[in-house]
Amino acid sequence: MRRARRFNINGILVNAAALVLVLSYALPYVYLLMTSIKPAADVQQIPPSFLPAVVSLENFREVLQSSALPKAFASSLTVAVLTTVLSLAVAVPAAYVATQYRRRITTLFLLFALVTRMVPSVSLGVPLFQLLKSLGLLDTIPGLVLAHTSAAVPLALLLMSAFFEGVPKELEEAARMDGCTRFQAFRKIVLPVMIGGIAVTALFTFITSWNEFLYALLLTSEATKTAPIVIAEYNSVYGLAWGAMTAAAVLYSLPVIVVTLALQKQIVGGLTFGAVKG
Amino acid sequence: MSGEDRFVLCMLAPAFAILGLLVAYPVGLLVFDSFFKVDTITPHIREWVGLKNYIDALTSKRVAESALRTIQYSVFALFFEFAFGFCAALLFSALPGRSRWHRTVFTLPLMVPPIVAGLLWRFLLVGNIGILNYGLVHLGIITDPDAIAWLSDEDIVIYSVSFADIWLTTSFVALVSYAGLTNIPKDLLEAARIDGANAFNRFWHVTLPLMRPVIAVIVIVRAVDAAKTFDLIWIQTQGGPNHASEVFSMNIYQRMVRFGDLGEASASAALFLIVMMLLAAAAYWKIWRPAHA
Repeated sequence: MRRARRFNINGILVNAAALVLVLSYALPYVYLLMTSIKPAADVQQIPPSFLPAVVSLENFREVLQSSALPKAFASSLTVAVLTTVLSLAVAVPAAYVATQYRRRITTLFLLFALVTRMVPSVSLGVPLFQLLKSLGLLDTIPGLVLAHTSAAVPLALLLMSAFFEGVPKELEEAARMDGCTRFQAFRKIVLPVMIGGIAVTALFTFITSWNEFLYALLLTSEATKTAPIVIAEYNSVYGLAWGAMTAAAVLYSLPVIVVTLALQKQIVGGLTFGAVKG
Repeated sequence: MSGEDRFVLCMLAPAFAILGLLVAYPVGLLVFDSFFKVDTITPHIREWVGLKNYIDALTSKRVAESALRTIQYSVFALFFEFAFGFCAALLFSALPGRSRWHRTVFTLPLMVPPIVAGLLWRFLLVGNIGILNYGLVHLGIITDPDAIAWLSDEDIVIYSVSFADIWLTTSFVALVSYAGLTNIPKDLLEAARIDGANAFNRFWHVTLPLMRPVIAVIVIVRAVDAAKTFDLIWIQTQGGPNHASEVFSMNIYQRMVRFGDLGEASASAALFLIVMMLLAAAAYWKIWRPAHA
């Protein structure tokens, strides 16, 4: 009896501590949401209030009616989708042979991917700027896709090889017995089994490209500005437009948050997996 | 060449080509440029200067200061991310089976784009309307909401800009640590309990040694990422006030874009790359390899 009671008090303390911790981490984002639905005039009131006195969609209307943000969202989306498709197309087959057909060249290849993960984007950004300039691809969607792909392929390779490590070699061997070629076995038997892992990798690649800032800053100007660049500009070009900025930030981050929360289990698995392996 | 070898090469070739074109070739170009005096605007006009760009970078006071700031920033951010994240993981694993929604809410910052996190924290910290200082006044920690100028005080700004980083990635540390903690065999802790070890001793002599590889991974991954940081700080201060929050990556960006000095920017970027490669090599030998051996 005494023991059970003691455990309860401990349990309450642990619960309370966890609650305080979790809420204090959620609070800043909730404040962003609250600010975005304040009337623009109330955003910079002194002293600031946490909750809006009146709910208003003024800030959202402003950013959606400007031409800059919707256009930037279209750029971001196009670049992220193309980057994801291109990266997966090259990384999935490579990760497969790197884990299922181990030899010196595949080990070296994975090591190379690991090392490229450590490359500071500014170090790659300097020559990529020059490369794209000489190809005439500065401030174009293909140019930005190539830059994003340079970061996305190593990530996709490491994540996919973590997933492929769980696939038994027998799967392919059984398909070969049934008369498939190696490539057919990969395409018809292994890929369908791996669809979950591929989906998680695709989502990560997409988010990485969606969030990317430095390459967009270096490699775009007017034609293909992506969403983060436009959001950042709400704070310089238009003065201190905090109201519009918070609304744009919510619009930009909410889709990813919703999708991630919906796929929470797979994402967290992939994330920890990728980190520990990579 | 056997059919198997041909298959391996065919599957690897596209990824090889992409990484060659988009990583290896640019890195080669970077190293090549670093030996020339060359402008961003007219990259075809170049003058061989040997190691001059490297010597200039290594002897420049502003470069040295930005390198030091990168270390200050990374160490500060890493320390708090790790402390908070590891404690969170311990708390979550002490909530038997019921930490699911805690963890779900706690992953929220991880989904927030860095640029939004940077803007959000700038908004929380900015003089006058920053709600954090008003909160501190309410808690009685400071008396005047203007008492701490987080982002405009040159002495503290490099630490203030790391709050966003800490907020953003504590959950990453917590999730990876949590995964590590759940892998510790329960009977080891139970055996220690039966032998009379108290909670602290069980943590110190059983949990911590078993978590060593996980901790090493977290520290290296996070240290490398923190050292690379650009967007989070750029969006908060653009390196100011008076360069007081200009980290190394920002210094390179400034020299390339503002001053158009491609050669010198390349030399610094190459130096940055070398340091990060050495970190990566250390990571590979210490952590990644043993796990596969």
